[in-house]
Amino acid sequence: MGGKVTCTLGEVKNRADFIVYWGGNPAECHPRHFTKYTLMQKSRWLPRGRKDRTMVLVDIRETKSAKAADIFLQVRPGCDFELLSILRAMVRDEPVDPDAVAETGIAYDVLEDLVRRMKSCRFGCMFFGMGLSMTRGKHMNSAALLTLAAELNAFTKFVAMPMRGHGNVTGADVIMRWQTGYPFGITFNRGYPRYNPGEFSTVDVLVRGDCDAAFIIGADPGATMPQPAIDHLARIPTIVLDPHVTHTSRLARVHITTAPAGIAAPGTAYRMDEIPLPLKPALKSPYPTDEEIVRRIREAVATRPFWMPEDSPQMTTEQL
Amino acid sequence: MLRITGGKIYDPASGINGEIRTLYIEDGRFVASGEGGRTIDAAGMIVFPGGVDVHTHVAGGAINFARAMTPEDHRRTQAFIRSQTRRSGLGGMAPTTFATGYLYAGMGFTTVNEAAVPVLSARHTHEELSDIPIVDKSSLVLMANNELLLDQLDAGEYERARSILAWYIRAAGSWGIKAVNPGGVAAWKWGGNAGQLTETVDGFRHVTPGTIVASLARMCHDLNLPHPLHLHCNNLGAPGNVSTTLETLRHLEGHRAHIAHSQYHAYGGDDWDTMRSATSDLADWFNTHDNLTTDAGAVLFGDTVTITADGPWQHLLYRLTGRKWGNLDVENETGCGIVPYTYRPGHLVNAVQWAAGLELLLLIEDPWKVFLSTDHPNGGCFWRYPEILELLMCADYRQECLRQLPDRIRSRILLPEIDREYSLYDVATAMSAGPAQALGLPRKGSLAVGCDADVVIYEEDDNIRRMFSHPRYVIKSGEIVIEDGDIRETPDGREFLVQPHCDPDTETFIRPLFEDCYTMSFDNYPVEPHRIPRAEIHHRPASP
Ligand SMILES: [Zn+2]
Repeated sequence: MGGKVTCTLGEVKNRADFIVYWGGNPAECHPRHFTKYTLMQKSRWLPRGRKDRTMVLVDIRETKSAKAADIFLQVRPGCDFELLSILRAMVRDEPVDPDAVAETGIAYDVLEDLVRRMKSCRFGCMFFGMGLSMTRGKHMNSAALLTLAAELNAFTKFVAMPMRGHGNVTGADVIMRWQTGYPFGITFNRGYPRYNPGEFSTVDVLVRGDCDAAFIIGADPGATMPQPAIDHLARIPTIVLDPHVTHTSRLARVHITTAPAGIAAPGTAYRMDEIPLPLKPALKSPYPTDEEIVRRIREAVATRPFWMPEDSPQMTTEQL
Repeated sequence: MLRITGGKIYDPASGINGEIRTLYIEDGRFVASGEGGRTIDAAGMIVFPGGVDVHTHVAGGAINFARAMTPEDHRRTQAFIRSQTRRSGLGGMAPTTFATGYLYAGMGFTTVNEAAVPVLSARHTHEELSDIPIVDKSSLVLMANNELLLDQLDAGEYERARSILAWYIRAAGSWGIKAVNPGGVAAWKWGGNAGQLTETVDGFRHVTPGTIVASLARMCHDLNLPHPLHLHCNNLGAPGNVSTTLETLRHLEGHRAHIAHSQYHAYGGDDWDTMRSATSDLADWFNTHDNLTTDAGAVLFGDTVTITADGPWQHLLYRLTGRKWGNLDVENETGCGIVPYTYRPGHLVNAVQWAAGLELLLLIEDPWKVFLSTDHPNGGCFWRYPEILELLMCADYRQECLRQLPDRIRSRILLPEIDREYSLYDVATAMSAGPAQALGLPRKGSLAVGCDADVVIYEEDDNIRRMFSHPRYVIKSGEIVIEDGDIRETPDGREFLVQPHCDPDTETFIRPLFEDCYTMSFDNYPVEPHRIPRAEIHHRPASP
């Protein structure tokens, strides 16, 4: 199984009477999520708003978001994949091993109640955060949750959506996909896009020390990446475009201050559900936009000799 | 000045069928005569107007979702290697934007119509379209499941609904409207569907798929849109659905319409085991009614990825195949489903589909009424069109292909009895002149003086597939873009937008309804036409 059964946030606002947050803490990380989209909004089908909705939180600890939940399920750390697999079996009325259930830290009758609610709601939505997708099991956890959502459609309407953040990361993902076919982890070193997360992802390239220059726009890997990656950034010529002084800009060879997007630079940002929003700047900035800097660098690079051999083929049907 | 001399000209829009004439091109258009400049000696060659794809899915949230779902296909497909003038990209089932332009132009197509755009993500679609080089573009906005519009129809407010429609077309920067499974996608928001034209749509009091079809077709006429209602009927893909399709055609009440990918709507039988082709019923209707055009939505055997706004159908396909399933419901407007699929010659249903697409292309007598399409990528990828042309032009080759299919197929299809073969004139009509006329695109699909100088020149070849796959020259707006199989230039194409008349108070009326059910600010919602690069805007006064 693969794929993703999802919707835009307005569908959740208008229809979702059953909402699950799994491995995320929206109350602190996406503070407007409850009020704008998931819990507080009223609609023609949910006229009483919060009262017409049930919210379940699944996490390894009781965060501030638990206060907003009707049901809080504390899963034992590292057991998300097992719990999701048990739920998938229960949805299909298949028997589950009581010992395996006990391992998850949640009682069988609580899960039975959850499954009953999932199958009998009118429109269910599961949001999942990095507590699911970046812990033991990683993308397999996300796949298990997405599969559970897909399979629930045999009984009722059910969708799922990752909780993404960090500025316009969705926009980068969307555009890389239409230009290269892949969302991230791409190399162009043979003249066409190739994809291999774990090999070509930024962090892996830096940790291995494979690149001899870095160009960083609107991100601060110096604050989040493992030390060997940061050390490599400090070693090579690193160029940072950022409105602010950041951990990365401090270790960079060059920091070009740019106008902040959405405040002083126009453009398009993509919301977590991939809806494009126009950015309408309210202020003028003395600094150039990221776009302008990139364009000028590109023009300057174009005056240098082209790096690929003159007689390169136009096309290959034998990707290596 | 560019002159093309000595070639056999096929220009169905001017009634020119294989005559040797000289074409003169200046400033991107055909002119009557001229001196100097370059001359292409096309002696022994065939000259067509550039191809026009009436129905394809090449840009926007849905195809981009499909790209995300099929990395395994990207890795095995052809790759375009970057050069100083050309961007890199990947072909395959869901090609990347730059590759899409190179592949279409490489096959002699110079205009494409992206057939399914939600208003909410139209900004994304336009950004992708502007990243498709060489070809000109238009797009259609999805409307048959828009809840603000359906609410007005439900309340019997036809004129109000029409104003809302006009406003949405402008907001999306579209060329026309597309109706997908009218009412069915709205019902899918609760997990349902709509299969009966006279049954009330889930969640509404009066409105039925039939009233949606009739109203939208009439609105396209009232608003004087260049392209009539572009209609994907209810019950796509289902055995026995030809009755739904014919009933839908009756609901048009004589208004013009373009029926999308009719192959998927031309089945008899009661279930998957008894499914058969019912294309003769549909072809008879087209042959006796002049308000309609259609595209085939032909199927070719092999791997592809299916993409449609028809969410409930894709859920069924996922359950039938057990393959990956993508679904994206768009608030208040539409849905979208994605399932990878393999058409197999040994599979009875697939074999019927393969035959049915070709049957419609051959049984509908007038090539001005039925156009080449695979509903890319649904029935097969657009870069496989030359395979279909070979099947249409060679009855012997068709028979050879039929012999590869299971014997039991013969009683379920009509193809073995059809001996019609397309002429070059028929091909030029079904691939260029016809779709350009149906789309109402100005200056496209013709080699006449004043038209856009979009030309494709083929070296005459008995191997039809090779001939249509590898044009000798492709000229876009007077510029040679392909020569001897090489991409020479990659100019940016234009985008065609229509702005129908819209009552000035419509915005005041929509704003509170919008704010109640959308999650975007109203002022951010319409696409600003000035943010669409190279937009060519056509203003249309309402029909008298
Ligand atoms: Zn389509």
